[in-house]
Amino acid sequence: MSCNFRKLGLVLSLSAGLLVTQACLGDTLKIGWLSSLTGPLSSAAIAENQGVELAVEEINKSGGILGKQIELLTRDTAGDPTKAVNFAQQLAFTDKVQFVIGPVNSGEGLATVPILARAGIPNIVIGSLDELIDPVKYPKAFRMINTNRQWISTANDYALKVLKKSKVAIIADTSGYGTSSAKSATELLEKTGIKPVYSVLVDPNKTDLSDEMNKARAAGADIVMPWSAATGLLGRVLNARGDMGWSVPVVGHPALMAAQIRKLLNKPEYWDNTYAAGYMSTTYMSDGKLPAPTQALVNKVRPKLGGGEIDILFWWVALGYDAVKAIEYASKTAGSTDPAAIQKVLESTKEFKGVYANYSWSPTEHNGFPDSNMTVNAANTFKDGSFKLAPH
Amino acid sequence: MLNVFVAGLAIGMVFAAVALMYNVMYSTSKVLSVTTGHLSMLGGVFGAYAISVLHLHWTIGLLAAVLVGAAFGWITELLGVRRILAKSDEHLWLLSTLALATIVQQLIGLWWGTEPKPFPRLIAQDFNAGLLDQKFWLPIGITLLMAVGLELFYKRTMYGKVFMAMSEDPFAARARGISTDQIRQMSYLLSGALGGLAGFAAGQLTFAYFALGLTLTLNGFIALAVGGLGSNIGALIGGIALGLLNAFVSHWFGGEYQQTMAVGLLLTVLLVKPEGLLGSRKLRPV
Repeated sequence: MSCNFRKLGLVLSLSAGLLVTQACLGDTLKIGWLSSLTGPLSSAAIAENQGVELAVEEINKSGGILGKQIELLTRDTAGDPTKAVNFAQQLAFTDKVQFVIGPVNSGEGLATVPILARAGIPNIVIGSLDELIDPVKYPKAFRMINTNRQWISTANDYALKVLKKSKVAIIADTSGYGTSSAKSATELLEKTGIKPVYSVLVDPNKTDLSDEMNKARAAGADIVMPWSAATGLLGRVLNARGDMGWSVPVVGHPALMAAQIRKLLNKPEYWDNTYAAGYMSTTYMSDGKLPAPTQALVNKVRPKLGGGEIDILFWWVALGYDAVKAIEYASKTAGSTDPAAIQKVLESTKEFKGVYANYSWSPTEHNGFPDSNMTVNAANTFKDGSFKLAPH
Repeated sequence: MLNVFVAGLAIGMVFAAVALMYNVMYSTSKVLSVTTGHLSMLGGVFGAYAISVLHLHWTIGLLAAVLVGAAFGWITELLGVRRILAKSDEHLWLLSTLALATIVQQLIGLWWGTEPKPFPRLIAQDFNAGLLDQKFWLPIGITLLMAVGLELFYKRTMYGKVFMAMSEDPFAARARGISTDQIRQMSYLLSGALGGLAGFAAGQLTFAYFALGLTLTLNGFIALAVGGLGSNIGALIGGIALGLLNAFVSHWFGGEYQQTMAVGLLLTVLLVKPEGLLGSRKLRPV
């Protein structure tokens, strides 16, 4: 036993010495990871963290980036913009990281993106709010997730062109995200000549949505489009529809497909006829298989998640994985981690192949996610982290 | 329109239950604890946990909810109130109870998760029962029972009268041999148990959700201030008024005006009748 303790002590001492030496020599590449591992939207962050950690592990095993091991500095913001700001400043000015991934929530991102821009640190943005990206104000911020408008446009196209519906009811929550999404959804519909027959903002904690759904039906709606990430509110929309025996299709935010929704439904069949914006990369093809890169990543991640069926949305894992891989690609292509060189490389990137998507950025377009990877999924088809295509 | 009324009445009754709990604690300590709404949140979460996860009968779930609520009420008094009142006349209890509320919310978030989870059906009933659904009538019925029970407790029992005596004049009560510390602790236990019960009854309406506490604390306080601090009937009226106001504002103007109107109601009452609709203005003889 004592021998084992001595060995353990020796290993720990050597490891500590190694870490100190590495830190002293400055031969690590530091990536700050602003992740809301607890608090609201923690499920997305926890899934993304799986991808981030796997990519870091793989890269470090294969020799690191430019001969340096990646040192991942994970900071749990708990979904709180104040904490996110404090951690962003700490990462930028105290820890002196070379890159920052995140934060996960757009609300936090609105607060941290300007800070990281002032610090001149390349920031991989994974929030979908449109305002987070501006190549002039935030020249080193590059988005890897889709924009909110891509979600809305995809859902609108499906409702109008595939389902052939034109009497749209929009239900959004009163948060900044919900309000902004309702406005964007209305604008995008009006561009196609469609004016919503009913539009309403509701408190995300409102306990009963039957009033809003009754009004939507009375207004003649033939499709309901909810824009909210609040699963409680979305569950209540579907419960109100089911309880009133209304067969109207519901198409909207990807949270409609979240596993938590299934648990909130009064009856499992209330999830039928519900569709949400999703991704080709996490959609089963007609042969029942996932795209090869996604399946390969699923195979790598599954053992880390216990080996059974994956019960988290896999696109978050893929996004986290791609974020680190994009840093590797940019650093290796630039031959350094100099922020200006990284910016130059990313701005000239065309079709960087990831799992979640293939990304392209330019000097005037820092939104890298292509429209071609957007699709619509049937909400009640969740299997192993991915979905089936909605009926086309 | 009737469904707006019933939905507003149901959530209003939940606010009224929280206002009643404020009254119970306030009567013996003159403290408005920030943990009040969290007592109900715990009732919902632990009730759902006992029934859905541990697969226990709903009566055991109810017992668990009440016991956990009572335990947290006791902890609130022990850690958030007793020492603060012993050491200071200032309103530092606001900070200590806020700290406790934050801690319990975070702990529940870590353990239970941050997404709302369903609360099981307690009585066999189809979901298309509409306005007769138990999710509306359970919180309404339980809150009415709580209000009646508290009135009987205050008027018909010795302990109730001791609570009242402490509320009127704690120094005189102590001079008469009443153990004020013990009575205050009892009131927090009672309030916690009532909170657990209210949270359990409202679970189908609110879901079992870790972040519910602060919402209930705020809305319960508005109901209390509108109805009048110390008045149980006032708490009922305040809660119902707030619930119906929220529901009808949302119905007529949209949810974006709901919070503004709720806080506007509080401000109006404070300006016009600071003691609340049924509160009594205490005059200090000099």
